[in-house]
Amino acid sequence: MSASPAPRAACSARKLATMFLVLLKIGALTFGGGWSVIAQMEQEFVKKRGYLSQEKLLDIITVGRSLPGIMIINIGVLFGHHVGGVLGGVLAAFAIAIPSIVTLCVVALFYGSVKDNAHVQRMLVGVRASVVPIVIGAALKLREGALVDKTAIVIAAVGFALCLSGRINNLLLVLAAGVAGLIIQGRRATR
Amino acid sequence: MIFLELFLAYVRVGFSSFGGQSMIPLVRAEMVAHGWLTPAELADIVAIAEMTPGSFGINCATFVGLRTAGVAGAIIASVGAMFPSLTLTMVAAYFLAAFKDNPLVERGMYGIRAVCFGMIVSVVFSLAPDSYFLGGAISIPAVLIGLVALLLTVWRQMSIPKVIGICAVLGLLIG
Repeated sequence: MSASPAPRAACSARKLATMFLVLLKIGALTFGGGWSVIAQMEQEFVKKRGYLSQEKLLDIITVGRSLPGIMIINIGVLFGHHVGGVLGGVLAAFAIAIPSIVTLCVVALFYGSVKDNAHVQRMLVGVRASVVPIVIGAALKLREGALVDKTAIVIAAVGFALCLSGRINNLLLVLAAGVAGLIIQGRRATR
Repeated sequence: MIFLELFLAYVRVGFSSFGGQSMIPLVRAEMVAHGWLTPAELADIVAIAEMTPGSFGINCATFVGLRTAGVAGAIIASVGAMFPSLTLTMVAAYFLAAFKDNPLVERGMYGIRAVCFGMIVSVVFSLAPDSYFLGGAISIPAVLIGLVALLLTVWRQMSIPKVIGICAVLGLLIG
């Protein structure tokens, strides 16, 4: 949006293409209600390619989870918009969705024979068992950006307890956390 | 017209759902109202969504679309389910970018990032029962595979596709 639009456009076209292809791969390996997407995005886009910072990924996850709609598609749109504006957002949403639409169409055709197949069932036991460790890995990596001081650890602990109790709407939780941040950081800034 | 009905039904489901299987009751209401699915088929979709990649929302839209109006229906229903993300979330993305250097937003994000970490850790606890307790008892093979996956991701820093592949093979061998 700022200076030298021409080289920037060329660069972002390549960046968008890379983003699209990597998200296709990520979309094909989305197990565990989409939480493995976050771990994969951390590996591919934070660590390997530097498309976004850890903090930005945390922002995207929280906003994406608290808005209505499908979490991973929300996260895709927010991430894609960060990389390449509205076009980036649309491309990212479709890149994540396409593998699951294609796989499901194929599986639905053979569902009868797949449903009770013992081999498929055993493989799924393995795949499901991998999701929790993958999410733990992502949490460990995102810890630095989130738990910056003792107060943040307290906020995280309260958030954890409220989420686990299942008694609070995500949007409310995020709004409350935002207000807490405003007050705490505001007081620190004026001190 | 079936395509428009499918699209609108999933736009409604999308806008009124907040994550994962919380959309099952909404989907059930829409599907029963239109007579698109039987309860048994709905149970099948939940099982299929478990075994294929992707979120429950997209999987469900694809399956119902496919059953009622073929591949075109699958695509249209899926785009319907994505509609809230493409509109409302896109607007949120715009505001996030527009205000990214605002100090107030940065202050608010301090609290939000911390809560996000808490959320991710809570997901570990809510996913664990379905992953390691199979048929009411703890599954030793699943726990062992989980430990291997933990070593590979946290200690060896292996890429996630590889970890998922290895765990699928281990599941086939000992699951």
